[in-house]
Amino acid sequence: MNKIVLIVLVCLFALVAFGTVVAEESEPATTEFSLWVGSHYTDFTDSPKKVGEYNLGNSEALPEFKLNLLSRSNGKLFSLDGHYFDDQNINANLRAVVGDRMNLSVQYRSMIRQTEQDLLENIAAQEFAGVDSLGNDKRGGKMLTHAITDPGADYNYNRQEILTRLNILLSKKNNVRLVAAHRSILKNGTEQKVASDHCFSCHLTSESAEVDQRTHEIEAGLEAEVDNIDVGYTFGYRKFKSYTADPTAYFDKAMHPINITDTATQHEFGSRLIFDDSTAPFGIYPETERYSHKVRVKGKLGTGRVASSLVYSKSKNKRTDLSSEAVSGVLNYTVPLSPRSRLIARVTGARLTADDPFIDLPTFREGRPGPHVDFDYTRYSTIDRTEGKATAEVITRLNPKMTLSVLAGYQIIDRDDYPTPGNGLTTNRFIGQAKLRYRKGLNYTTSLKYRFEKTSDPFTSGRGLFEEVGRDRLLPLVDGFKFIFYFQREDLRYQNITTEPTDYHEFAWTSTWRPDPKVSMVLGARGKYDKNNDLDSLDVEHFSIQPNFALNLTPDPRVVVSTGYTYNYSKSRGPVAVALFDG
Amino acid sequence: MYTMVDYKTNAHNVYLNGSFQATPKLRFNGALIFNYTKAESDQVLMPDVEDRLVDGAGAPGQLELQDFSFDQMDTYSNLEYQLLRFAAGIEYKIAPDIKITVDGEYADLDDKAGYVYGIESGKYFMIRSGIGVEF
Repeated sequence: MNKIVLIVLVCLFALVAFGTVVAEESEPATTEFSLWVGSHYTDFTDSPKKVGEYNLGNSEALPEFKLNLLSRSNGKLFSLDGHYFDDQNINANLRAVVGDRMNLSVQYRSMIRQTEQDLLENIAAQEFAGVDSLGNDKRGGKMLTHAITDPGADYNYNRQEILTRLNILLSKKNNVRLVAAHRSILKNGTEQKVASDHCFSCHLTSESAEVDQRTHEIEAGLEAEVDNIDVGYTFGYRKFKSYTADPTAYFDKAMHPINITDTATQHEFGSRLIFDDSTAPFGIYPETERYSHKVRVKGKLGTGRVASSLVYSKSKNKRTDLSSEAVSGVLNYTVPLSPRSRLIARVTGARLTADDPFIDLPTFREGRPGPHVDFDYTRYSTIDRTEGKATAEVITRLNPKMTLSVLAGYQIIDRDDYPTPGNGLTTNRFIGQAKLRYRKGLNYTTSLKYRFEKTSDPFTSGRGLFEEVGRDRLLPLVDGFKFIFYFQREDLRYQNITTEPTDYHEFAWTSTWRPDPKVSMVLGARGKYDKNNDLDSLDVEHFSIQPNFALNLTPDPRVVVSTGYTYNYSKSRGPVAVALFDG
Repeated sequence: MYTMVDYKTNAHNVYLNGSFQATPKLRFNGALIFNYTKAESDQVLMPDVEDRLVDGAGAPGQLELQDFSFDQMDTYSNLEYQLLRFAAGIEYKIAPDIKITVDGEYADLDDKAGYVYGIESGKYFMIRSGIGVEF
């Protein structure tokens, strides 16, 4: 009930503050108030997880109430809407407006979400070792196994969000305003964590973990109007932290995957690992902070209007001491080209950089006879890049019924260090779009849109997907050593893989028909198709289409009926690959 | 070893909402929602790679104990379920500013294929009643 007390206190505070301001005015206030008090009973049969995804999932009776308050006077408004369904599902909205002097809104939302347990049943396989004398399959040593340490666990979390926005007029001269906002997101509950063991045992272990995550975000700034130019500055701060202890898992003792009773191999396999036969944290959350500074300028420029903003932000993961920085800008310019047409030009740019940490690893096979490998490396960030995008859209009224807009654009993403340091991938994209709108009075409207994007060098995994046939190109690391290690096969890999397309098509059509005030009908369809032509032997493509229909009828002032149908068909084509090993 | 495979999704959504003010004191409302979704992968037919195997010396190799059929792989990500949700309610004014309400909701999820979470078929029933005042 602490939440209810908190909400009531906030409402009372806002009501008193609003009442004080209203009392200063002579205009009487009009107030509308409604309250609903009742109860509900929920009952679940079989699995409640999906059918009751946003419910407590219990068969029980609980109290419930709703209230709505709206108070108005000359230029002032106070409203409060609240709904208490149960102690995990609550919504409350408060708004107070005092002319153009103050605008305050407070929103509280609480919801619960049931999440399921991955049974990991697909993670069960063992090497086939032939057929025994009775004709039954014999299983070999290498295996893929899983363990659920908390069978039947009931995972769910409660998400609470408090959002406050405040706008206060500080000075009528130059319209100086204080703009502030605060948002907190609290997430509590339990979740499933799956630890993946070393490859020598191929063992996944599932367990329950507590969830207690808190995000706090504030923004504060000033806005003013100087010589018909709007200027503004906003400072932002965001923090995320998980307050639960890190989940831990036991990582198996290193052994040969087949000869598991041969303890002599432990030293060989253990020497290839960072750790084994030990308990270590896994699946941990970052602790992040982000600072930002944003300036905005908006005003007239020639016969048009310009709006621009520039943002600098710095983020840091305090657990790893890794930081990233971003500088981004937007420039919008709108200008009439003729009495029937106008141009909207938009340019955006961004520069992103992130720390490149040095990864210090133990020497591979240290203390063992034969080759040793130092895997230390600098992990260059894939984030480091410069981005730019420019679009120009011309909107023309062809006649009183038809409007045509044509957009053309270009985007570039120039990565610094991916896939190779100092020689990053540069993605170029050309964009074309056309929209046609037709309106015949209030009875009929329709719109058509087509968009096309052509991309060169979209982001791809630089590690390759496949290996060259055979192993004859690989040699042991040192003369006289007979083994080829799995990591050496990295040298055989080829074929970039991505889900990003080179060609993208999108269309949308919507028609609305209102033959009379009692009937309205909507017909429409949206479709997308994309493919990638740069993947050699791969034929990756995606297609989707969504036709829809809606009908609203009001045959009588006492009767309202609405019905509709939506169909969604989608098809994705991608590679399914399996690893082949000869031991 | 790889092959290209299509994954197809079909989803149908139908809804019907209505309200009826039977008398100045009595009002009915109702909603019916039906969703049917089926998603499946085409069968995974891997190419015959036996003739591409070579041993360390470059001679034809063998993987006698490997099974290349993968004839059940396409079923891993199959989905098929239907959800029927029905809601109905009555409002009756016992005084100009006071009304009593009764409404209920029923949902039936029929999970035919299951996913990594297992079969999640289930039914949900809720009944709600209360009294509202306005002034």
